[in-house]
Amino acid sequence: MSARPAPRPDVRLDDGGMEPVTCGSCAARVEVRKSSWDQTSIQWHADALGACLERRASQQGTGPNGAAFVGCSALHLAIREAAVRGELPVQSGEPLPVNPEGNAP
Amino acid sequence: MTEVDEVRRIETDAAPTRFARGWHCLGLAKDFRDGKPHQVKAFGQELVVFAGEDGKLNVLDAFCRHMGGNLSQGTIKGNEIACPFHDWRWGGDGRCKAIPYARRVPLRARTASWPTLEQDQLLFVWNDPQGNPPPADVTIPVIEGATRDDWTDWVWYTTVIEGAQCREIVDNVVDMAHFFYVHYSFPTYFKNVFEGHTAHQFQNGVGREDTRPQATVSGAPKMLGNTSVAAYHGPSFMIDDLTYHYDDGDVDSVLINCHYPVSENSFVLQYGIIVQKAAHLADPEAMARKMGDYIKIGFEQDVTIWKSKARIDNPLLCEEDGPVYQLRRWYEQFYVDVEDVTDEMTERFEFEIDTTRPNEAWRAEVKANIAAREAATASS
Ligand code: FES
Ligand SMILES: [Fe+2]
Repeated sequence: MSARPAPRPDVRLDDGGMEPVTCGSCAARVEVRKSSWDQTSIQWHADALGACLERRASQQGTGPNGAAFVGCSALHLAIREAAVRGELPVQSGEPLPVNPEGNAP
Repeated sequence: MTEVDEVRRIETDAAPTRFARGWHCLGLAKDFRDGKPHQVKAFGQELVVFAGEDGKLNVLDAFCRHMGGNLSQGTIKGNEIACPFHDWRWGGDGRCKAIPYARRVPLRARTASWPTLEQDQLLFVWNDPQGNPPPADVTIPVIEGATRDDWTDWVWYTTVIEGAQCREIVDNVVDMAHFFYVHYSFPTYFKNVFEGHTAHQFQNGVGREDTRPQATVSGAPKMLGNTSVAAYHGPSFMIDDLTYHYDDGDVDSVLINCHYPVSENSFVLQYGIIVQKAAHLADPEAMARKMGDYIKIGFEQDVTIWKSKARIDNPLLCEEDGPVYQLRRWYEQFYVDVEDVTDEMTERFEFEIDTTRPNEAWRAEVKANIAAREAATASS
């Protein structure tokens, strides 16, 4: 096979890398990065995906892309809590927004 | 000079020398069923597409293994394509079935044939540089509306893009900001998920009053926003489950955005749309054409960008950009041998953009555009 240059890492990781977070509902351990309170990157691995309860319970949705699993809400919550507790850095350094537009944060 | 003061250089790796492994859509199946063979330039080769009497669509290498005649200039005879040069008959399986003037067909009379799939009125061809057949779990999902009476037929567009590699169009799937600047839409929610051979884009948006003049025509329904779940299934075929919300009801549609490479620096872009015949739509077919023509304008604007831009392998991203690098890592799986596909390329990756700051900036820009338009109208 022809040697291909390896895909480069995201340049933004230079300012802060992915950090481990464990789900509160299952034992799934993923790597996460938050550039702001409302931005989240999640890198899954096979064992985490196999452990995820919501993933296992998810049903085929409607439409041609209905097989998609949008994400796990329990993991989302665990990530948010880790950020609130200061265990997961939020790159923007902004304080936790409080009801920015009258919506629940 | 400190590191941050240095001029950033654009890095450009060599473009791939092979073509992606996967299903590629060649277009509407019916367009190949006119009783004639069709020449298709794809994957750096010349192919011939023909439908035999049995109705099955076949894809072969265009050049006859006898003396190199071009089969796309030939004639369909029964279930075979007959070469225009000496009438050798080639079957859809790539085997020479007969030579009318010969006592017998020589050994080794076999040419390259491509696996095909006909689904939802579309013709797909499987490309694999290693020559393996399509694995059973590498499929294109069925689009129910495409074969239902309560949906329109495909409104289909084909255009050849010269001077651009097809990675440019795939990059679009993560490029939220370009939807505002190039396509005049206004994304308010944007998330990508890559997993296995699919790359999803979940996107919601609102209507833009500065670019939708029809909204000001009295009586015309006003577009409030859109909900879209789009996904690449493999390297080249994107299905977009797209709903536009108008003040008089929803319009459900499925948009296809697909391509196949012609050479290392050109590809054929195709897109098509079907619309559900909702009760509040007076003329759904006209609606599909109108939406298709709007999408056409959007793609033309993309093409202008692609043709003049640099190929860039080290894009400089801000935090409000999407996961370009991770998308390319995912896309790489289609360009390496199947045994060299790594977990990194296929493992699930999620990226949700924070749209707060982009939306503030865009609201201000829309407002300014409307103010400028009103000032221009008032002074004319
Ligand atoms: S070259 Fe095709 S039959 Fe001779
Ligand atoms: Fe685009």
